[in-house]
Amino acid sequence: MILIVGGEGSGKRTFAKSLGYSEEDMADGCLNGLPVVYHVERMVFSAPEKIDSLFTELLKKEVVICDEVGSGVIPIDPGERIGREAVGRLCIRLAQEADRVVRMICGIPSVIKGGET
Amino acid sequence: MMILLTGGSGCGKSFYAESLCVKLPAPRYYIAAMRPFGEESLKKIEKHRRMREGKGFETIERYTDLASLTLPMRGTVLLECICNLTANEMFDENGSYEDPFERVIKGTDALLSQSSHMIVITNDVSSDGRIYDSGTMAYIRALGKINAALAQRADTVCEVVCGIPVIRKGALPF
Repeated sequence: MILIVGGEGSGKRTFAKSLGYSEEDMADGCLNGLPVVYHVERMVFSAPEKIDSLFTELLKKEVVICDEVGSGVIPIDPGERIGREAVGRLCIRLAQEADRVVRMICGIPSVIKGGET
Repeated sequence: MMILLTGGSGCGKSFYAESLCVKLPAPRYYIAAMRPFGEESLKKIEKHRRMREGKGFETIERYTDLASLTLPMRGTVLLECICNLTANEMFDENGSYEDPFERVIKGTDALLSQSSHMIVITNDVSSDGRIYDSGTMAYIRALGKINAALAQRADTVCEVVCGIPVIRKGALPF
């Protein structure tokens, strides 16, 4: 599994396409048979209690794409705070299992685990 | 030797910092800047405390004014974290400093002069693109300026992403 992380609009899906996937291969924030899933952070925010089963399902994907959401002011709303933290923790677990972790900045991929692109 | 660690919420900074500290010489001091306030921070403090257990840390709780802190001996210092320290200097019952820069930097400089190795944890809170009240905006700017000054002093600056250390300056000691 390849984990792609980065801020909103940082070029994560564009990078996935450079790996040979098309828009039709990508599921938007839901689990289905497609090899790529994006907006994983939204899945966490909508059901933080299901994070363990989400983790297990995500390991079956070829590419997992998640927004980085932990670099803003700590939200006043407790749900937002817990969700943000949970996204970070899930990404740590996914990164541990991933063959490759790619971090996007300004459309530029940095491979931070698993060798060169 | 100073290492600055940064990274978003839940990125694994604390765990990574501790894994570095245990390879550095004792005594090890954990400077806790998070004021126990409310159930959530107590839980977080307890989680961090459990994580540090058995790693040979002496915990020193210090929420403001690091400059007046004297360490018992020269050793390895883990300071967690600059975000809380800065917020405390600005908004705490003891803190009313509109610009906490001098206080925070003097404090970290004083600690650095007393340590053989110092690991400092901070965070970037400036990337959500929202406009907050003037106090919060002042905090965001102050923290950014403090982080830049700390990075200048640090031998190594490392961003933790999904638990993976990504070097931004210098090199890791191991």
